[in-house]
Amino acid sequence: MKYLFFYKKYGLLRFLSNHETMRMIERILRRTGMNLKMTEGFHQRLKLSFGQALPTGIIDKAGLFLISTDEEIGEKFISQINSLSPHGFEVYRICKVSEKFELGRSIKGYVFSLIFLEEPKTSEDWKFEKYGKIWKTSFFVAFNSSSPRINAYGQYLTLRESVVFKETFNGESARCG
Amino acid sequence: MNNKKHPSVLKSLVGILDKVEKPSRYIGNEYNSVKKDAPFSVCLVFPDLYDVGMSHFGVKILYDIVNDLDFAKCERSYLPWPDMQKEMQNRSIPLYSYESYTPLDQFDVVGFTLQYEMSYTNVLRALRLANIPIRSAQRGEESPIIIAGGPCTFNPAPIEDFIDAFLIGDGEEGIVEMLEAIRSGNDRADKLRKLSNIEGVYVPSLNKQVRKRVVRNLKRSWAPTRQILPYTEIVHDRAVVEIMRGCTNGCRFCQAGMIYRPVRERSTGEILDISFETIKQTGYEELSLLSLSSADHSQIREIVSSLREIPYTSLSIPSTRANSLTVEIAKAVESVRKSGITIAPEAGTQRLRNVINKGISEEDILSAAKLAVDNGWRRIKLYFMIGLPTETDEDVRSIGNLIDRIKRLGFYDLSATIGVFVPKPHTPFQFESQIMPDEAVRKFKLLNWTNRFAKLNFTDPHKALIEGVLSRGGRELSYAIEEAEKRDLIFADWDEFFNAQRWMDLFEEYSVDIDHIMGKKRFKDEFPWDFIDSGISKGFLWAEYLKALRGDLTIDCRNGCTGCGVCPNFGIENVIYGVRE
Repeated sequence: MKYLFFYKKYGLLRFLSNHETMRMIERILRRTGMNLKMTEGFHQRLKLSFGQALPTGIIDKAGLFLISTDEEIGEKFISQINSLSPHGFEVYRICKVSEKFELGRSIKGYVFSLIFLEEPKTSEDWKFEKYGKIWKTSFFVAFNSSSPRINAYGQYLTLRESVVFKETFNGESARCG
Repeated sequence: MNNKKHPSVLKSLVGILDKVEKPSRYIGNEYNSVKKDAPFSVCLVFPDLYDVGMSHFGVKILYDIVNDLDFAKCERSYLPWPDMQKEMQNRSIPLYSYESYTPLDQFDVVGFTLQYEMSYTNVLRALRLANIPIRSAQRGEESPIIIAGGPCTFNPAPIEDFIDAFLIGDGEEGIVEMLEAIRSGNDRADKLRKLSNIEGVYVPSLNKQVRKRVVRNLKRSWAPTRQILPYTEIVHDRAVVEIMRGCTNGCRFCQAGMIYRPVRERSTGEILDISFETIKQTGYEELSLLSLSSADHSQIREIVSSLREIPYTSLSIPSTRANSLTVEIAKAVESVRKSGITIAPEAGTQRLRNVINKGISEEDILSAAKLAVDNGWRRIKLYFMIGLPTETDEDVRSIGNLIDRIKRLGFYDLSATIGVFVPKPHTPFQFESQIMPDEAVRKFKLLNWTNRFAKLNFTDPHKALIEGVLSRGGRELSYAIEEAEKRDLIFADWDEFFNAQRWMDLFEEYSVDIDHIMGKKRFKDEFPWDFIDSGISKGFLWAEYLKALRGDLTIDCRNGCTGCGVCPNFGIENVIYGVRE
């Protein structure tokens, strides 16, 4: 059975590199004691796939990973996995997907937001909204195009807000839950 | 201290982490780190980069022991890399703890672990970044009590002006007594007085003679199983179980083999129990069996074969001796399967191996290497030293011959590390001189021909000399060490920061008598560390030294007492669970 996990990574954990995030998640999964599928071969690792890599420094509200297991996973697994995680990492949704589901082929892109503490001066064609003392802009970035850099626009924070799935791939619906 | 969080540090921290390399090594908040409130606080500092310090096992033991106390909490800190130090200084961020982001000067106790002498200047830099006065004499009632432990404390003299109290020897019981003493003291002077009455504690202004602290056996409850998981990739990123402390081989060059006596094995059942629990608590994919010489554990076969049963968990063993068992164990050990086998012949001739009492023969080495080839290894790493007592040019050239013979057994990749021997305090070779860098370079050249078929790594002979001076010197070194930190000679163990010339200039300016410190000594000569009693008498070390010069062997003390004095002195014994095959 394949399960798609949605997670948030915030606070100090935004300073984790993509590689560090993957290793952290792998160890969290190992701590759950869940019977996960392993890769073939001599040096066995968890069979795990992730959404698009995120540069260090970005707050992630749209993290994704996919596992294969022969165990049935229910809602209460969310609280179990979160109790075995460091503060700043939180799984908020798990859904069962079909065996044919592949992460890389079902994501259309992500919505990113930039938060500014001063009125932004940029040549980009972005619409800004003002909330109290902050300015915010959001935009769509297609899958496998580069994520906004943290120091590129003078923004205070960068967030990956949400994932946008393709309508279908291989005739399968990418929607879950 | 009060227990409120320190949002000021955390807030300024967030502003600079985007600017430094590998920010995750500074964020703390790791899984299994302990956040607790307690009336009394300790911060343990490993005076090196997080990546190194987090790999160290001793801190893990003490961290859990202190955090299990009702009245105390233990936090951690490390020395930030220079890019981070600069950012912290620019924003006036003091050195902080990794649990509550509390500035170090607000702790009741700050403890340093001294694992290698080259970290002394790092200790001073950590104190400076923490705004704690560098010298003990400058500290007032407001300053934390600065304590230190680790193997370097067996010669505390060079840094005793900076440390309020040393704990020499096993720390498990002593640390608790120290914290109780500090907590109950009325003022700084009273705290130090109370500390000076504890077995194994050296308070420089108060104690004249100190005997090391020793624990009878390794208690199950002392084994840390909730080991902290770093985010960044550290040097040894794996679960660790200490299977044995001490070593019975009696190699005459080895300080650890002398100061950690007697040997204390853990039982197989306990090792399995600790291992399963640690893997469960951490999710680690690799388990390391820690000891000075793991193949010497009397139950090692059984231990290794049982631990292989833990699913999807590979085993690693940091150090083993060259014998047939080594290969047998190596077969079960994933890290060795991947990276190749390691053997430490130490010297090139049997005569010299007998001098250093390395209890292995040429046949042991060659048959272990042959067995490794027969089992499919094609890569091998070898360790040798030059500058050993009585060494001739012939001994040095023979290193090349031995490398040649091993290579011909069928390895396609052979690398050999050739280090310069540093005669350490509390070993039989403390009476011996260390070779100077010019002589070391001359000896290295005798091995150049070996380069044709092996990768040779020569360690820096100047670094070895500075290490020798810092490990053998006395209290007079404190001014040179203090100045070294001011001149930025920190992270001295890191090649990119090591500058031999600047150290040599410094020693010259401060009139450090290198020839005297590093020269040959006789029995009657006084050492700066004579007042530290490791349990081994100076007479035994001298007798071992004379035996070494004659090339006489001393047996492994598992097979009969060699009379070093540790067991009767402390009323203890080797803890061994069976006869080693």
